[in-house]
Amino acid sequence: MSRAAGTTVLVLLIAGFVLIQEALYIVDERNQAIVTQVGAFIRVDQNPGPYLKIPFYHSVIYFDRRIIVNDTAPTENLTLDKKRIVVDPITRWRIIDPFTFYITVRDESGARARLDDLVLSAMRDEIGKTDFVNVINRDREVIEESVTRRVAERASAFGIQIIDVRSKRADLPPEVQASVFARMVAERGQVSKRYRSEGEEESAKIRADAEKERTIILARAYEQAQRLRGDGDASAAGIYAEAFDQDPEFYAFIRSLQAYERVLGDRSMIVLSTDSDLLRYLRSARPTNGRTP
Amino acid sequence: MSRRPSMEPLDVEEQIREARERLGTVGRLWPFVIAAGVLLWLASGIYMVQPAEVAVIRTFGQETGRSGPGLYYRLPAPIQLVDTVNVEQIRRAEIGFRTQDGKMVRVPAEALMLTRDENIVDAQLIVQYRVKDPSQYLFRLRDPQEALAASTEVALRSAVGRAPIDEILTTGRSQVQGMTRIFLQALLDTYESGLQVTDVKLQVADPPEQVKDAFQEVVRAREDRERLMNEARAYREDILPKARGQAQETLRGAEAYKEQRTLEAQGDVSRFVAVLREYKKSKDVTRDRLHLEAIERILSRSNNIVLDGQGASGVMPFLPLRDGAAIPPQAAAAQAATQSAPRPAPAQPSASTVPLAPSKPGVSATPAAQSRR
Repeated sequence: MSRAAGTTVLVLLIAGFVLIQEALYIVDERNQAIVTQVGAFIRVDQNPGPYLKIPFYHSVIYFDRRIIVNDTAPTENLTLDKKRIVVDPITRWRIIDPFTFYITVRDESGARARLDDLVLSAMRDEIGKTDFVNVINRDREVIEESVTRRVAERASAFGIQIIDVRSKRADLPPEVQASVFARMVAERGQVSKRYRSEGEEESAKIRADAEKERTIILARAYEQAQRLRGDGDASAAGIYAEAFDQDPEFYAFIRSLQAYERVLGDRSMIVLSTDSDLLRYLRSARPTNGRTP
Repeated sequence: MSRRPSMEPLDVEEQIREARERLGTVGRLWPFVIAAGVLLWLASGIYMVQPAEVAVIRTFGQETGRSGPGLYYRLPAPIQLVDTVNVEQIRRAEIGFRTQDGKMVRVPAEALMLTRDENIVDAQLIVQYRVKDPSQYLFRLRDPQEALAASTEVALRSAVGRAPIDEILTTGRSQVQGMTRIFLQALLDTYESGLQVTDVKLQVADPPEQVKDAFQEVVRAREDRERLMNEARAYREDILPKARGQAQETLRGAEAYKEQRTLEAQGDVSRFVAVLREYKKSKDVTRDRLHLEAIERILSRSNNIVLDGQGASGVMPFLPLRDGAAIPPQAAAAQAATQSAPRPAPAQPSASTVPLAPSKPGVSATPAAQSRR
């Protein structure tokens, strides 16, 4: 092999390599491309695969085909009830029309600037229509959806498809947080007090119930006891009456004697007349008047 | 060269000649060099897929196949490219804190969030996930990890914003976890991330540091409430059995009284009937005997004053002379005259002075004393 031939082969190889490099281009799964012809738009290649172009005359500009995130800086907004809230929007989007994208915003950083503006103004509007409590609660998704819709409409002019706009955070401004903490402390204080009073309330209830129950138990026992005692008294009275009815006069007599014995205790002073039946024999051996004392 | 400036022309010629010689050597070797390069290039197509991994092959940028674990060959770059993704590995993301050297470091900006009732709660979350679709994971979303972290924040804040703080701190934790997981998976699917959430764990859901004391005070207050109620229940347990015991005591006492009353009445009646039976046999004698016996018993215990029949008629009407006692009307006029006379003072409070006249006692006299003798 001569030196000249070798050099020629080398040159041809290099030239061929460069030509292939220029004519053949690959659109990856992640990419999409537009082909321009000295500035003029030729076509869009959105499907992955190998493509051919006229070397040096056509040029290829690649764009990402994946979903891209745009994390807008947190901003403070006013709600309908004039409360301040810090919202941190995050937008997911992708380029669906690379040509429009290219001629309107040129590249991603251009798109980000536009999207930030759109998202912030839409967010401000929607939050301004909603009360604070609903921003963090009920209407969170509603707001996000309508912001997404509004941004999507405007962004389609840039060849951008908006997947969604979400609010990563919806927080109070730092200086408001302190007052929220103060309020939370106060609220907890109320709850603590309530728990303690409830404890006392329940305790008093339980004690009162117990005392009531005790009183009822005792009263019921008293009632039954009195009935029993009454029964006892009644049956005793019945028994006495039945027996004593056999001779009431004798009963009176014998009962009186018993009563005297009980009533007249030791060392009672008794004045007796010698006229009395008991002492009649003290005066005379002969009976005087009747037997009765 | 600067060392020998005077010999420069000769040097240049010499150098060209040397270069030519060297080029000649290389010129003879370059086919081998190229062949070696081509071989190396071709050999670069050998690739290995580890267990649990999936390889995604792109041919001219387009996905054309996948392969599981093993040793494979592909056409070298840029014709074919291979990306391997571990689809089994459980990955993990932390929200609200980061683990650094085994220590948890809080990230307050992430951790503090608003609840539905406008309170602030400190929530920290761990998400576990894996890749379920390698193609989506590789080609559809730029930076899936970032998307996962941001979406977790979105989902967690949304879930926390739907519940009041008391619920989140107590019973609502699993609900927050569940809602976060569902919402997060929906977002990840929307973003074509190819990720599958396998678990969402709410590590911490606490009141923020600034208000922790107040919350603990609530816990203490709740315990106080329980304590007060338990004390009251203990009181109840204390007094009710005692009351029941007391009630039983009362009842048993009454039952005993009833029996006692009946039995004593029967006893009294038996005694009376026995005496009555004897009395009926000889009324006068028995009557006198009973009378005299009773009088004997009484008078043997008492202090007696015996007056002559005439004197007695003057004294008797004024007895008994206890204060407040009834004085027979016919003696009322004579009362003043005898005021100065010394009254017979009772020896003891229970002593009494009673004329020995028959009286009519009621039926319901005290029963117990009857059996005294």
